[in-house]
Amino acid sequence: MNILVFIKQVADTEARILIKGDNRSLEIENKYNLNFFDEFAVEEAIRFKGKVKDSKISVCTYGGKKAVEALRTAIAMGADQAYLIDNTDLDTDDPLITAKILAGFAKKEGFDLILCGRQAIDDENGNIGAMVAEFLKIPHVTAITKLDVVDEKKIIVENDIEGGKETKEVQLPALLTTQKGINEPRVPLITGVMKAMKANIPVIDPVTLGLAKESLDRNASKIKILSYETPKGRPPVKIIDGETPEEKVKKLIKLLREEAKVL
Amino acid sequence: MSKDIFVFIECKEGSIRKTSFELLSKGKELAEKLSSELYAVLLGFDTKSLIDEIKPFAHKILSVDTELLKDYRWDTYTDAMEYLIKKYSPYLVLGASTITGKDLFPRLAARLDAPIVSDAIGIEVTDGEIKIKKPIYGGKIISWVTTQNTPISIVTFRPNSFSIVKGDTAAEVIDERLEISMDSRINTNRIDKGGSKKVDLQEADFIICGGRGMKGPENFNILEEIAEILGGRVGASRAVVDSKWRDYEDQVGKSGKTVSPKLYIGCGVSGALHHTMGMDTSKVIVAVNKDPNALIFQYADYGIVDDLFNILPALKDGLKNLKQEA
Ligand SMILES: Cc1cc2nc3c(=O)[nH]c(=O)nc-3n(C[C@H](O)[C@H](O)[C@H](O)COP(=O)(O)OP(=O)(O)OC[C@H]3O[C@@H](n4cnc5c(N)ncnc54)[C@H](O)[C@@H]3O)c2cc1C
Repeated sequence: MNILVFIKQVADTEARILIKGDNRSLEIENKYNLNFFDEFAVEEAIRFKGKVKDSKISVCTYGGKKAVEALRTAIAMGADQAYLIDNTDLDTDDPLITAKILAGFAKKEGFDLILCGRQAIDDENGNIGAMVAEFLKIPHVTAITKLDVVDEKKIIVENDIEGGKETKEVQLPALLTTQKGINEPRVPLITGVMKAMKANIPVIDPVTLGLAKESLDRNASKIKILSYETPKGRPPVKIIDGETPEEKVKKLIKLLREEAKVL
Repeated sequence: MSKDIFVFIECKEGSIRKTSFELLSKGKELAEKLSSELYAVLLGFDTKSLIDEIKPFAHKILSVDTELLKDYRWDTYTDAMEYLIKKYSPYLVLGASTITGKDLFPRLAARLDAPIVSDAIGIEVTDGEIKIKKPIYGGKIISWVTTQNTPISIVTFRPNSFSIVKGDTAAEVIDERLEISMDSRINTNRIDKGGSKKVDLQEADFIICGGRGMKGPENFNILEEIAEILGGRVGASRAVVDSKWRDYEDQVGKSGKTVSPKLYIGCGVSGALHHTMGMDTSKVIVAVNKDPNALIFQYADYGIVDDLFNILPALKDGLKNLKQEA
């Protein structure tokens, strides 16, 4: 079976992010990782491969040249093959474009199962999974916490729904997005890291995926960033003093009622 | 070209979710600016009793009432939304970035080839341009986004982004009947609604969040009691969830839920970046921590430096008295 995993390289949550003078671009400290939720997708693909004979895991990202590092992390964990679809000069903020490209790649490569994280922790959109599934006309399930194989044509998944969980049977091919809790992503072994360093990662030009260049660039984007700003900081904290816990609490409740007006 | 607005109404356990009223309130304000109509779109089964509740908030209600729409599924809901959108050509479709919204709207956007801005917290419309406010990088940056090359845009918002303003319209109800069918490739086997009686964490106006400083699962009882007094919810840090003191569905933070209640109280939470990213859009933040240098004080409006085991009983009594007086 062909398992595809779509991943994204994202700025580390601790990375310093500054807004440049034009207010329209960001300067991001050079600290990047494989997206938190994508690690679960890679791990689940490896476990799936363990359950279904003759499976092959290909990971792919639409990103800049640097994103190859995240692909190598996935190989170090246990993916078989990686592809970088190079978005140099085509970087847009429109998930429709990214999803069309990834769907184009999936069609070309062939697939039985597609996994990706439930959302990227940089733009926090969480759109790509369901969009790719729609472009491929296959079912999707968001935020799965369990995946069981029935046979080569059918799986059973559990996912988050409002106020609970749902279990469903899904026919393959399908696309699943992974939620925390589904597994514990492995830390790559040194042998995996060695393999990843040596791995040949083909770079794909997006225009070879059946989409015209004009449909991929900033002018084609349906989303446009107008500006960035830093969030308004809170005024310094008011530490509430008092002789006893009761006195402090009394003061707090008074402030919450009269000053903050939330009680 | 129409400037009409659709608001997708979400129901939970047979009632309309608070976040839908927030969206209706904002949608009405925008529709008035654009001199257009606000449509409340209600999909479901046996929803007649809900319609009256929405009437004052909208100009029109599009109701599709059929057993096929009883439980949310992306296949039937996307089909129904696609049909209604093609028929009424709205300019803006507003929804909530809830579990349902995050599943439905990207699929719908792809179906319509329409742009989507997700997890937004604000919107302005000025002479034809839509400006959407959206936090990125865990709230470290606020971006202002617009859409282009499109007749229609989809925007989803975090619950608690807008206040509810009851209107005085008496919306016209339009019953729509459509042909939809379930996708046979997906079969629901089982639905488990464990904690469905609780207030939704993302919709709660009040959250009291326990961290590792709570010392053990049994000590969360007092947080439950305080949450109940204020009609809110108990949240937890990841350290607490990883120790299995609370369920993952209670987790606030980067890898948990993003919340913006009116009042957040953190007890024995250190305020690690991964945590504050999930709560720093709360209106008012209170921190109780015995360490005066705890990071959380940098995010809080009010702080109490003390042992939480001394503070919580007093807080419970104080709030109880307050509610009894009211
Ligand atoms: C990729 C990633 C994602 C993450 N996602 C999340 C997330 O979504 N949510 C999240 O919360 N964390 C997340 N974390 C973890 C986060 O970095 C912190 O480790 C975690 O939030 C710490 O939890 P805590 O504040 O409960 O515990 P601690 O950091 O151990 O803090 C306990 C606090 O309690 C105080 N305390 C102890 N005893 C008392 C007492 N008797 N009275 C008063 N105060 C007391 C201490 O002074 C201390 O400040 C993530 C980490 C990573 C790497």
